[in-house]
Amino acid sequence: MVSPDARNEGFLTTRVDAVLNWARSNSLMPMPMGLACCAIEMMAFAGPKYDAARFGSEAMRFSPRQADLMIVAGWVSYKMAHAIRRVWDQMADPKWCISMGACASTGGMHRCYGVVQGCDNFLPVDVYIPGCPPRPEALLHALMDIQEKIRNEYSVTQDYAQGPVLTPEQIG
Amino acid sequence: MPVDVEHTSSPQEGAPFRKALDFFFTAADEASPGEKNPLTQPTTHLPEIIRALAEQFGEAILGVEEYAGEQTVLVEAQRIAEVCRFLKDEQGFRYLADAGGADRFADEERFEVFYNLVSFEKKKRIRLKIRVDEAALTAPTVTGVYRAANWNEREVYDMLGIRFEGHPDMRRMFMPEDFEYYPQRKEFPQLGIPGSLPLPPRTPEGPLQRDPFPTAHEGPTPKSYEEPPSQIAREA
Repeated sequence: MVSPDARNEGFLTTRVDAVLNWARSNSLMPMPMGLACCAIEMMAFAGPKYDAARFGSEAMRFSPRQADLMIVAGWVSYKMAHAIRRVWDQMADPKWCISMGACASTGGMHRCYGVVQGCDNFLPVDVYIPGCPPRPEALLHALMDIQEKIRNEYSVTQDYAQGPVLTPEQIG
Repeated sequence: MPVDVEHTSSPQEGAPFRKALDFFFTAADEASPGEKNPLTQPTTHLPEIIRALAEQFGEAILGVEEYAGEQTVLVEAQRIAEVCRFLKDEQGFRYLADAGGADRFADEERFEVFYNLVSFEKKKRIRLKIRVDEAALTAPTVTGVYRAANWNEREVYDMLGIRFEGHPDMRRMFMPEDFEYYPQRKEFPQLGIPGSLPLPPRTPEGPLQRDPFPTAHEGPTPKSYEEPPSQIAREA
């Protein structure tokens, strides 16, 4: 809100969390972990028809250090799981993860010895998308869910919904 | 078992071999029958080549079986490289299209390795098979004849556990090097053995058990496509 004293002087007062969440949620840079046919739908999601640029996510970053949203698209083998985890560990906080499709979420039709039965066995997944493969709209919806989650996060101020403010003595 | 060449040959020599392939034909194919339609050519019917093999190798050719118009030659395992060399040099089968294995669980000689060869000049395809006993679990390699067999034989070793003697790089193809089982064997459970394949830790603090990028720590690992020089390269 514009403070009365600062009116006409070009100042705006707000909360730090609100600015951070606004900036983060509208400039998510996905790390496309495309492992199988879901990656084709992920390309359509980034392309001009479905146009993830409307949500500020058009810049796919193939370096984990420049990305903050990992989209695991496709089935994950046990060998690949270690590489995915290494990439995830290199992404800077704060970071989010979408498990795209039946295979990434549960192993899907690859119910066999070589495929991890869900990438949440080694990654903290925020949003799961069903489908084989999901439509690009479904991935857009997952992106909007991630944005909604970011907008309700507290990174600077205390989240009072999580309980009362503790004094330093109480924390010990 | 002596080879009955006459029995396996077509009743009418030179006629389009249509007997078992009618299933694949549609009405559109009938518009160009005979020699103009490549689908009607007897590409997998090889009486002359099987006769030549029988003359050259005699007892090493254990038998010929025919299914769906395709002739398969069962070869004695120890002489497969010689047979491949003969087919490549004398009969023009320059291309190894595929090689793989099968588990004939509970049969006498349990494992089977097949080789699909193609001759571009003759427009023919032939399939060779060898049988491998469970007690021996070894077969001679054909990488000296076809370098393309390298990864196929590695795959057979990975999935069934058959070691190929003389192979330049007998490592696993798909599964991790320290995996202890052979997943395409019939007794292997479909969902695997719990704990046989490690996962990354669930927490960021946990150590990574398996380094996917060892170049950062131990120097480059040998790549699978960096093979030692083969017999072919040395001869050239």
